[in-house]
Amino acid sequence: MTTLSALLVFLLVLMLAVGGVSGLRSFMSVVINTCLIILVALLISWGVNICLTAIIFIPLKLLTIIYLGTHNQKVAKSAFTCALLVTVIISAVIIIFQWLAQAAGLGDQSGEEVVGLSLLPGLSYPQIGILVAIFSTLGAIAEASVAMSAGLLSLHQHQPDLSMQQLLTSGASMGKDILGTAINTILFGFFGSFLPLFIWYQRLNYSLDQIFNDKLFVINGLIIIYSLIGVVMVVPLTSWLLAKQLGQPEKE
Amino acid sequence: MKKIAMIIIAVCGLLLTGLTYFRTDLAGEQVGEIVDRQVREVSLGKTVDEYKNHDERRLQTLHVRILSGQHRGKTYRVQDTYVSSQLLTQRYRPHQRVLVGFVKGKAKLLGIKRDWVLVLALTVFICLLAAVASRHTIILLVSMGINWLLFYGIVCWDIAENGTRTFLIYGTACLLFAGISLFLAQGWSAKMLLTLAATLLSSLLAFLSCYLIMKLTHESGIKYEAVEYATQNPRSLFLAQTILGLLGAVMDEATDLVTSLQELAQQNPHLSKWEFFKAGCSLGQDIMGPLINVLVLIFMAAELPMTILYLRDNNTLHYTFQFALSLGIVQSLISAVGIVINVPLTAAGSMLFLHRTSKEAAK
Repeated sequence: MTTLSALLVFLLVLMLAVGGVSGLRSFMSVVINTCLIILVALLISWGVNICLTAIIFIPLKLLTIIYLGTHNQKVAKSAFTCALLVTVIISAVIIIFQWLAQAAGLGDQSGEEVVGLSLLPGLSYPQIGILVAIFSTLGAIAEASVAMSAGLLSLHQHQPDLSMQQLLTSGASMGKDILGTAINTILFGFFGSFLPLFIWYQRLNYSLDQIFNDKLFVINGLIIIYSLIGVVMVVPLTSWLLAKQLGQPEKE
Repeated sequence: MKKIAMIIIAVCGLLLTGLTYFRTDLAGEQVGEIVDRQVREVSLGKTVDEYKNHDERRLQTLHVRILSGQHRGKTYRVQDTYVSSQLLTQRYRPHQRVLVGFVKGKAKLLGIKRDWVLVLALTVFICLLAAVASRHTIILLVSMGINWLLFYGIVCWDIAENGTRTFLIYGTACLLFAGISLFLAQGWSAKMLLTLAATLLSSLLAFLSCYLIMKLTHESGIKYEAVEYATQNPRSLFLAQTILGLLGAVMDEATDLVTSLQELAQQNPHLSKWEFFKAGCSLGQDIMGPLINVLVLIFMAAELPMTILYLRDNNTLHYTFQFALSLGIVQSLISAVGIVINVPLTAAGSMLFLHRTSKEAAK
């Protein structure tokens, strides 16, 4: 048995023990999500149009994360609407910044890894760079919108006669907590992801200016910031959408 | 008040972006500016590689005015080749600021000056954050800043030990990261200590149990040689990466759970211990799926460009999976284990401490 399959089985057992049926659903959402990423890589390598792949797979990934991951349909519906909306906005932001930074493809540091690979792949790496950036932000956006929707909907359940303004205020205070923890998840996730790169810079005595202009650092730095911007936008948008839907009109 | 603060942040940020853009005295780099209004560009012919991938090499002829260093003020004619797919090379645009190097008196383009884009993106983020979190912004930014500094310190320590003592270094790192982040977010309280304890304990438990599984299966199928940019023992690097990724998500979850359970304890002081524990678990079930996916996407999306390149070169899916994806997946799995273990642990911890205090308060 390879380590990977052993870990997979261990995770499945744990999730079943902790969550039962909904644990199984969460497990499936993780597995399907992983398979979707591999499928995207395959499709692009076969030459399928990258924009088309993005348009199909981005909503599909949000659907798997949100609908399979949460067992309250009402929460899922509101979280999905909001996450999709934020993703559309953040995609526009990403396209602008990727165009400005022209940071796509591989860095100068990947010399050893690309030995033996053809470096004339005939694919638009700027477009792939945009897709990678959008994918990296999807998880954080989905998670934050689920947390916001769940919080606001349960508040509404306990106190159904809150006005739109009251819901907005509660949403704002809930948002602060969710923002704080979501920022940490993003930050540490990326610390883990890019640790080797930072050790590389430090070992080879890059100056700060060299680091800030290095293609890989800029790619990774921008991806962190995109995710942060996405999460920040989720908070007001979700509370606004839900408050509009659920809030009682102010009595005159 | 908020609007004024936002305008101030936006103006300062844009000023800084401008300053960074026009800065030319970079340490270790020479800056130039492309002066052509239109860059002359010719095709060097289409290429077909051994995998039948069609691409094109193109030659750009540009004029670069040097803005810093000993060649300052001179204009050079430079030729640069790029490939249409822009994998390792890039197409230069008119009036762009670039980094220049000199080989035997001839100027050579090294890359684009990109630092100002980061400043601009940060400006957008901080503006939005200020609009949403108002005064809380300062704490969030301070917390992020301290974490970056700590991360830098850890990297230096790791290099000083030359990739050994991974557990000591990153164990300490976890303690400091979690302690400081939680202290800044919640202050010094019983709730904060409970969150901290749950975070550290479930990270430790998850890591130990997964490490045991890795040992029992003889780490078969893990291609440590595929760790990117490894300048030291790739195995210790991989373990360190995993510990860091795990910590953030577990801390996030523990904070969410403890906060919600504390509210529950205050609203319904008559819940039995068992009901309280069950409520914690059912809250956790909703959080854990999306949270695991956050890390899956962070770890896997980063591998996407390389995966596509492997597949494009007619490597089998199996080979590509092993060398480009399996590390990311193992990392996500270990983090996922931490996230799942954390649910009953935090629920149990809250049951023991929060439940009792709420009972006493009710009397």
